[in-house]
Amino acid sequence: MKFQAMANTASRWLKGDGPEAGIVFSCRARLARSLEGFPFPPWAEESKLRRVSEKILDAIKKSHYLKNARIIDVSELSSTEREFLLEKHLISLEFTKGGRFRFLATEEEEMLSLMINEEDHLRLQTIFSGLQLTEAWRLIDRVDDELEENLDYAFLSRYGYLTACPTNAGTGMRASCMLHLPALVAARKINDILKSISQLGLVARGLYGEGTEAQGDFFQVSNQLTLGLKEEEIIDHVERITHRVVEQEKKAREALLKRNGIQIRNEVGRAYGILAGAHLMSSQEALDLLSKLRLGMCLELLPGFNVQTLNELFFLVTPAQLQIREGRGLSPLSRDQLRARLIREKLSKVR
Amino acid sequence: MRKMLCQVCKIREANVHLKEIIGGEVRELHLCDICAKEKGLGEPFLPSFSLPELMLGLTDLEIPSSVEEGPECSGCGLSYEDVRKKGKLGCSLCYQSFREYLNPLLEKIHGKVYHSGKVPKKGKKEYRLDKKVYGLREKLKEAVRKEEYEKAAELRDELRKLEKGGRA
Repeated sequence: MKFQAMANTASRWLKGDGPEAGIVFSCRARLARSLEGFPFPPWAEESKLRRVSEKILDAIKKSHYLKNARIIDVSELSSTEREFLLEKHLISLEFTKGGRFRFLATEEEEMLSLMINEEDHLRLQTIFSGLQLTEAWRLIDRVDDELEENLDYAFLSRYGYLTACPTNAGTGMRASCMLHLPALVAARKINDILKSISQLGLVARGLYGEGTEAQGDFFQVSNQLTLGLKEEEIIDHVERITHRVVEQEKKAREALLKRNGIQIRNEVGRAYGILAGAHLMSSQEALDLLSKLRLGMCLELLPGFNVQTLNELFFLVTPAQLQIREGRGLSPLSRDQLRARLIREKLSKVR
Repeated sequence: MRKMLCQVCKIREANVHLKEIIGGEVRELHLCDICAKEKGLGEPFLPSFSLPELMLGLTDLEIPSSVEEGPECSGCGLSYEDVRKKGKLGCSLCYQSFREYLNPLLEKIHGKVYHSGKVPKKGKKEYRLDKKVYGLREKLKEAVRKEEYEKAAELRDELRKLEKGGRA
């Protein structure tokens, strides 16, 4: 199995050193680009997909930012290996379907990556820790400029960058933040918050983006519209609204501690107890308990824990990552067993 | 109160109501329980929903049947019917080949707007000029609508100058 080394090193953005990283797990900017003169991937024959991939791989080699990137041929991967890349947020759910001439390019720290022949010919993304959307945009903008020197992007003055789905046309940009909102969920305010987010032109999704469910109190919020606004305006808008949600979550956390202090301590303590003592642990249970642990850490109820430890724990327990680490496929039962053991080991190192 | 019919099936009463304000423009969507569920809106909790995406689905249904014999894209050879079924365009030329259907759809999704983000460095001047021309044309239409003919004449002259300059 591939990627064993990758399973043992955390992505740069998991370190949790960005602003507001206690609530904003990560932030991400994504650009969709198509090449002039080629059918979009959902319709393209293999010969065209191959030609597109050659052109883009060539442009990558000439890019200062991406020349040392690891190039992964997705068609050569097993479903577990693809799943693993999804868990790392390096590829989309759509991309896990695979197919020939589909490639992922990722630089070592996994902050910058691109998918070739996903729904569009090129999907470029940057991920940062915490709320650093402006930084994510600045980096992706520069890489995009650099790639454009060697590629002819499909573009119309009126509709901007042209994409396979008209919902992405224009800037082709999606700016998103992954938020951890356990207190708003506990206070039953989350539905109101998500509703108002959507009225402000943002959309909320689950942990792995489009078509996935909310798990472990994680919500991904991103801009809905891509046409008519400047990239900086979109970034600013998403960042502002995220700030407001962060403030709300902070208030809800304070209120929880003040009004239900003993209950919160109890829940965090019990979550810790189960995680530290369990010998079988499903991924759903682990996510729920780790969410409580993460909240406890942010409320300073768990001395010795920091954001990085917690972020790494979240990543440690995902199903594909366990199997990659072990180098073989595992039955659900052995996964639950391994997951419980890894969590116990990690926790024992903290205290 | 008058009953409102579901915008999808147009049979059952709508009791799921979505509202969104974008750039001061209010957009609404009214669905019945069954159609809402089909659109992924049935659960009490919504991890993911996006009005533009829903609109995209709805607009599909409104395409007149005559489109089936419509023109093919000069780039990829697909018909609008093909594209509509899959929900993905065939190639970048589809944006021009099917503009008759796509313009209203794009307006429905994004609002009546013009791209204002970054443009490729190659051809930057041209894109800027296109945008100016588009702006003037819109102003001209508005002036004619308001019967401000003097202003319209000025705008027309400006447009002519710009277009000549651009082509030269």
